[in-house]
Amino acid sequence: MSSPPVIDVRSLNLTYGDFHAVKDLSFQVEAGELYALLGTNGAGKTSALEIVEGHRAPTSGTVRVFGKSPRDRRAVRPRMGIMLQDSGFSPDLTVRESVRLIGGLTQRADRVERVLGIVDLTRKAGTKVAQLSGGEKRRLDFATAVYGAPELIFLDEPTTGLDIQSRDHLWDAVDRLREDGSTVVLTTHYLEEAQQRADRVGLMHKGTFHREGTVAELTRTLPAAIQFSLAAPAPAPPLPATREGDGRFRVETFSLQEDLHTLLRWAQDHAVELRGLQAGPTRLDDVFRALGSDQTAPATS
Amino acid sequence: MLSIALSELVQIFRNRLVLVTSLIMPAAVSAFFIYQHEGFAALGSLGYIAAVVMFTVGAFGLYTAAVTTLAARRQNLFLKRLRSTAAGDTGILSGLLLPLTVISLVQVTVILTALAVVTGRPDNVPLLAAAVLSMVIMMLGLGLATAGVTNSPEHAQVTTLPVSLGVIAVASWIGLSGTEELTLLKRLLPGGSVTELVLNAWNGGVPVADSLILLAPTLSWVVVAVALASRIFRWEPRR
Repeated sequence: MSSPPVIDVRSLNLTYGDFHAVKDLSFQVEAGELYALLGTNGAGKTSALEIVEGHRAPTSGTVRVFGKSPRDRRAVRPRMGIMLQDSGFSPDLTVRESVRLIGGLTQRADRVERVLGIVDLTRKAGTKVAQLSGGEKRRLDFATAVYGAPELIFLDEPTTGLDIQSRDHLWDAVDRLREDGSTVVLTTHYLEEAQQRADRVGLMHKGTFHREGTVAELTRTLPAAIQFSLAAPAPAPPLPATREGDGRFRVETFSLQEDLHTLLRWAQDHAVELRGLQAGPTRLDDVFRALGSDQTAPATS
Repeated sequence: MLSIALSELVQIFRNRLVLVTSLIMPAAVSAFFIYQHEGFAALGSLGYIAAVVMFTVGAFGLYTAAVTTLAARRQNLFLKRLRSTAAGDTGILSGLLLPLTVISLVQVTVILTALAVVTGRPDNVPLLAAAVLSMVIMMLGLGLATAGVTNSPEHAQVTTLPVSLGVIAVASWIGLSGTEELTLLKRLLPGGSVTELVLNAWNGGVPVADSLILLAPTLSWVVVAVALASRIFRWEPRR
């Protein structure tokens, strides 16, 4: 923990005219971490990411990447790979030419064939970008980001539009890079991905962090849930439960193990069948839904 | 920069539209002027033909094509992509504009050589070369500035008209009427002093020192255009 953070963001603000896109955002990303920046649409995550990548100047605040300003491209970019949200390749160049050009400009050394192999585009090497599918363009984008195995990789919604197989492939490649020590900053709409892979999550809402922490820390603040249904007639369940629209019972609890035990014991004793029994910790999706529901409370500006 | 230039060259040759507007159209106009040189020389002078063909290449082969290219590369986010690498802004722009610049220089050289072969050698070749170079630099500067107000390659068809038609009109006006009247105005208009320089270089009869001073207004236009470009040039499309 003695090494300085790879990314150090302090009191970052970005305004477009009257619109305050990023408000007083501060966070650090340590070497080797996978940090996920999540948020609702328009939460400011792409704006924040673009400032950290060096694509945009902040209105105020400081950003340091490898201890340097991300605007200093010559110093910082050879050490980072960027997968943009929109692909931005020339339609008239082939896949091989695009990787050679963009990869070469990062000043890292690598072989075009190697990175095309990682994203399974070897057979498309001679195809013009204009003829690629959306998913193939995303994979091309990923190939240029990981060209030369950079120390820091930005993945802005990397798996949007990818089929399940390509998605698994991509995450395998990310895992290998992380084994070699790469740091990854991710934005995604697939909360499952963040939940499975992120060391820490920054949950953005209206330009600032609503919550930040590990997935466990974030989900710990919400109760776990037990759901089941009962065949009528049955005695009342032993736990305070709400009845959902389809007649299923839902129990929210901060002591899942204990309450589940109580329920199973009661079912055993009363010879009651718990149909469709489900129990589990809160998922990141639920944290998000909770965010969505406070969003409706205050007047939207 | 060279890798960007090389990929740009590949793109120019794969995209026939740019190839036609930037190569074939100016070449056709120039061929017409050279073919009809006796008539045009009688109206103005051989220097006038040289100035008009040079500005035709500069206005369409270089300026319009440069604005269209920059707008297209910005619109499909290729500029942003290039800026996500370690390449600097100057290197990116130089790389993108280098192929068109070289193609234009080659074109002007070939066309003026053809004119010289048909009609006879110009009076002062180095001075003519200085005129061509200053014209190219000015058109590049104006192209960067115009790209700042151009949203898309289609939009470039409109935004480039004032400058491209303007410089050709100025070259024709001065080529046909000379600079004895309204001298200051004619020299200060973009392309005006270049045209006078070409007339002097091709037709001769003017001391070189008097001609060299004509580079000053052109270079002032470069300064104005680059200053404008640095304020209004955008790397990403408006959202």
